[in-house]
Formats: sequence, structure tokens, C-alpha cells
Amino acid sequence: MPDSPRLLRGPAAFLSTLLAMAQKELMIMLRYPVEFVASFGQIFLIVTVLTLAGLMFAPRDAGAEGNSTTAGIVVYGFILFMFLSDTLWTIGYNVRRDQKQGTLEQLYLSPASKFANLLSRIAVSLVWTGLLCVTSAWLMSTLIGRLPAENLLPGALVLLFALSGLFGAGFAFAALTLRIKETAQTLANLLQFVFMVLCAPFFPFSALPEALQWVARLIPLSYGVDAFRSLLLGLPAGYPELAPLEVEIAIVVAFGTLMPIIGYWLYRLEEDSARRRGTLSEY
Amino acid sequence: MTITTQSSQPGQPTLAQSLSAALAETQLRLINISRYPGQLALEIVIPIIFAAMPMLLGRATGGEDAAANFAANTGTANYVAYLLIGSNVFSLVSNAFWHIAYWLRFEQETGTLEAVYLTPTSTLTLASGVALYSIIRGLSSSLLAYVIGCLIFQVNPFQGNVLLALGFIAVGLLPLYGMALLFGAVVLKVKESNAVVNLMQWVVSFLMGIFFPVTVLPPFVRVIAWLFPPTWMTNGVRSALLGVGYFFGEWYADMAVLWAFMLVAPLFGFWVFQRTERSIQRNEGVGQF
Repeated sequence: MPDSPRLLRGPAAFLSTLLAMAQKELMIMLRYPVEFVASFGQIFLIVTVLTLAGLMFAPRDAGAEGNSTTAGIVVYGFILFMFLSDTLWTIGYNVRRDQKQGTLEQLYLSPASKFANLLSRIAVSLVWTGLLCVTSAWLMSTLIGRLPAENLLPGALVLLFALSGLFGAGFAFAALTLRIKETAQTLANLLQFVFMVLCAPFFPFSALPEALQWVARLIPLSYGVDAFRSLLLGLPAGYPELAPLEVEIAIVVAFGTLMPIIGYWLYRLEEDSARRRGTLSEY
Repeated sequence: MTITTQSSQPGQPTLAQSLSAALAETQLRLINISRYPGQLALEIVIPIIFAAMPMLLGRATGGEDAAANFAANTGTANYVAYLLIGSNVFSLVSNAFWHIAYWLRFEQETGTLEAVYLTPTSTLTLASGVALYSIIRGLSSSLLAYVIGCLIFQVNPFQGNVLLALGFIAVGLLPLYGMALLFGAVVLKVKESNAVVNLMQWVVSFLMGIFFPVTVLPPFVRVIAWLFPPTWMTNGVRSALLGVGYFFGEWYADMAVLWAFMLVAPLFGFWVFQRTERSIQRNEGVGQF
């Protein structure tokens, strides 16, 4: 009697699928060398433009220390902004790319893990965006002076949890993309700008009007930005701005732990609904 | 049959027909974008938020001396208008690059670019139609964003010589679209429009001094910046409205430079675009992407 069709189950199969899919994503990225080089140049220019703009408000005789703090605020906030942007587009909106290319339905017909498919998109974000962040921080240090880099280990841990939460938000956005289709493009743009204002990646929270500071306090990612930046700046007076450090870390840890679960749950819900409606390949 | 539909060479459109084709292209795109009001609204919001970033950063780091420090570094204490002008000129530049490059890329991806090349209408006629559409869309959203931004941050948007500022924008637009055609040629050649345009819009924003005077750039970079028409356009508008100072001391000297760009840049852009087109037609063909 022939074996019944086997599904790829178990940790080994999951890992193998994840690696194969991550390899595919990275391979696609490497096939576009112009984009590869251009995105690096772009990041460097954005950070330089914003830092120079910030320095226009500093006294002409401001020392290197003042300049490097301004650069630190911009660079460290920018790291989280980069990952957020990447999460929305690479993880969330990429589902749409698969729809447009007509490969989403085929992927769902294969016995491979759907979660591995979603998770593999993180690989590009971690490898490429991580590399971009490190290089742009190094370049800014070379140009403007050493960036403050205190409390590296706690800072890295806060970043890790903030990223985990962000990726969870990416899964949720992928779910939303399945539902709202092309409107997701406008929404991703809008969300980036909302983040730019409310999570204050390029300026201290104290610059926001009081009412917006309260709105910022309702967004867990704001605590990620604040704690990460404050730790790396060496907890100067007035930092962290939103809450005591222990409270901020607790919120970031909870965000990083729960959001991937919630995000994936939402994605599965929407995916099931799309399959039932037969709209998975519709675009 | 009317005289205007007759051409001197069989199969070649007359000037009136070319004009009609260009306007039809403009109309088509305007109708298309009118179906996306959310996108149009976002185009007004984005430059305001973009200018708000350095404003908030500067206010927080500069404290009470923020305006005085800004005046010492740039020549005006009105940082709100200064930054809004920068972000809106940047928006105009981005629009020019995106609309020209994305038009070509879209036609490539949807497989209609080859069909466009088989019609008697030249691509330059169609590019002119796209440019006109882009100017209407970019200019209206930028002007609105500037006025709304000034009102939000409580500064007078109509201070200084408004007519002269509009003159700098009008004269600067032609060379800008000449440059956009150059990037159109690059997109035809390297295909990856998103990457090229994303990078180039930031290169230009950096060189034109989007949020700072180009005098803070190193001498070598400053010389390159002066070769970009948007640099003259931005400084011209800022000088007319805020009195930060023209590069050559007088407005007519700076305007003369923009006029020179206006004569050279579109011709150069057309020439490079046509050469690239011919080269691609002779080799891999325009259908490949």
C-alpha cells in the first residue's frame, strides 16, 4: 500500500524550509546590485541630511560632543525607523508582490510551512538593514565624531525585543495587506509618517506637543525608541523621557514577546478567510 | 480632412497632432490620479512632516536659542519657512524624477512600452505630456503644502517677494525636467527605476541644501551642488522670501544662471534620452525589463 502524502512537519523540515526560503529572498536581493548599492547610499544621505539640519540649530562654536549627541539622536532613532520601514514593505507588503507575481497561491499549495515563508522575509531585513545600520553609524562617526555608544549590551537587548515586536507588527500588516490589497501601499506610507512623528525617531519626545506625547505613550514602539536611544546615549539627564527605564524595558519585552504571536494569529485568520473567499491570488 | 492633420512626411504627426497627443497623455494621467484622493492628500502631508523632523530636533537641541542659532548658520531666524521651502522643492524634484522614471518603468513592466514605440507619436511627445502632468500635480501639492505648513507652524507664508519666488520656481522647472529625462534614460538602460530614483532624489536633496545652506558643504561638493538647477531654485526662493542672500549677490544674476540651465538642460536631457533609446532599440530592444 503506498504511503499517504507526507507533509513537511517537524523542526528539521521547518528549519530546512526556512533556510531555503531565506536563501531565495537573499538571492533575489543579490540579483539587483544597483538597488543594493543605491539603498546604502540613500541611507547614508538621509542620515547626513537630517544631522546637518539638526546642526543648523546648534551654536557655531558647539563642540564635537554637542554635535555627536545630535548625530546620536538621529542615528539611533533612524535604526528603528529603518527596521520599521523594512517591516512594512519587506514583510507586510511583500505578500502583495507574491500576489502580483502569481506565486502566492502556489506557495500555499506546497506542503511547506506557511510560517517559515513569512519568517524568511525577516532574513533580508536582518541581514541587509542590519548591515546598513552598522555601516551608516560607522560613517557618521567618521564624519562628525565618535557617536555616544554606552550600555551596548542592554541597548542590544532592547533592540532585539523591539525588533521582535516590529516583526510581529509586520505579520499583522501582511494580514491587512491580504484584505485591503493595493491600499496597503498608501497605508504603509502613512504608517511610516505616523511613526516618524509619534515615535520621535529623529528628535527627543520633549519636542512633541503635550497632547502628542500622551498619544506616543500609547504606542509600545515609542518605549523601544526611547529606551534604546537613552541607553546608547549613556542615560543623560532627562532620558528616558516617557517613563522610568525599568518600566520602558518591561513594556518593550512584553511587546517583543506578544506581538509576534498576535501578528501571526491575525495573519492566519486573514489567510483562512482569503482562502475561503478564494481571494488569495486576487489583486 | 483638415490642413492640421496633414503632415509633411507620411506617417509623421504634425505639430498640432503632437501637441494633442501630449495633452491627451496629461489628461489621462490627471484623470487616473484623481481616482486616488488619499495619495494626493498624502503628497501635501509628507513635505510638512518631513520639514517638521529637523524643526522638532532643532527646537529640542537648540532650546531657547534655536532661532538665533539658526539665523547665525543660515541667514534667517524663520526656520519654519526655510525648512518648508526646502522640503517642498525636494517634493517637486522627487515628483519630477518619479513621474518620468515610473512612467517608463510602468510601460516596461506592463509590456506596453514596445507598443508605444510602434505608434507614430514620439516618446518625447509623450514624455512632455507626462512632464506637464507632473508639473501640475507637483506644483499644486507643493504650494498647498507650503501654505498649510506655514499656517500650522504659525508663520506668514506670503512674506517677502512672492512673485520673484514663483519666478525662480517657474524658470527652474524646465531644467529640472531636463534632468528628469536624463534619469529616464538611466531607467531605460539599467531598468531598476526604484533604486535609481530613490538614490538620486536624495543625492539632489543633499546637493541642493534641502535643510541647510550649501555653504556648509566641503568646497568640492559645493561646486557639484552649483551644477544642479534645484540648488539655484531653492536658494532663489529662500532669498526672495526670507532674504538669505543670493549666490551672486543680486537676484537677476542668479536668475540668469537658471536661464542658462533652462536652455542647456532640456536639450542635453533630450539628446541623452534619444541616444539611449536608439542604442536600446538597436541592441536588446525596449520590451526587455
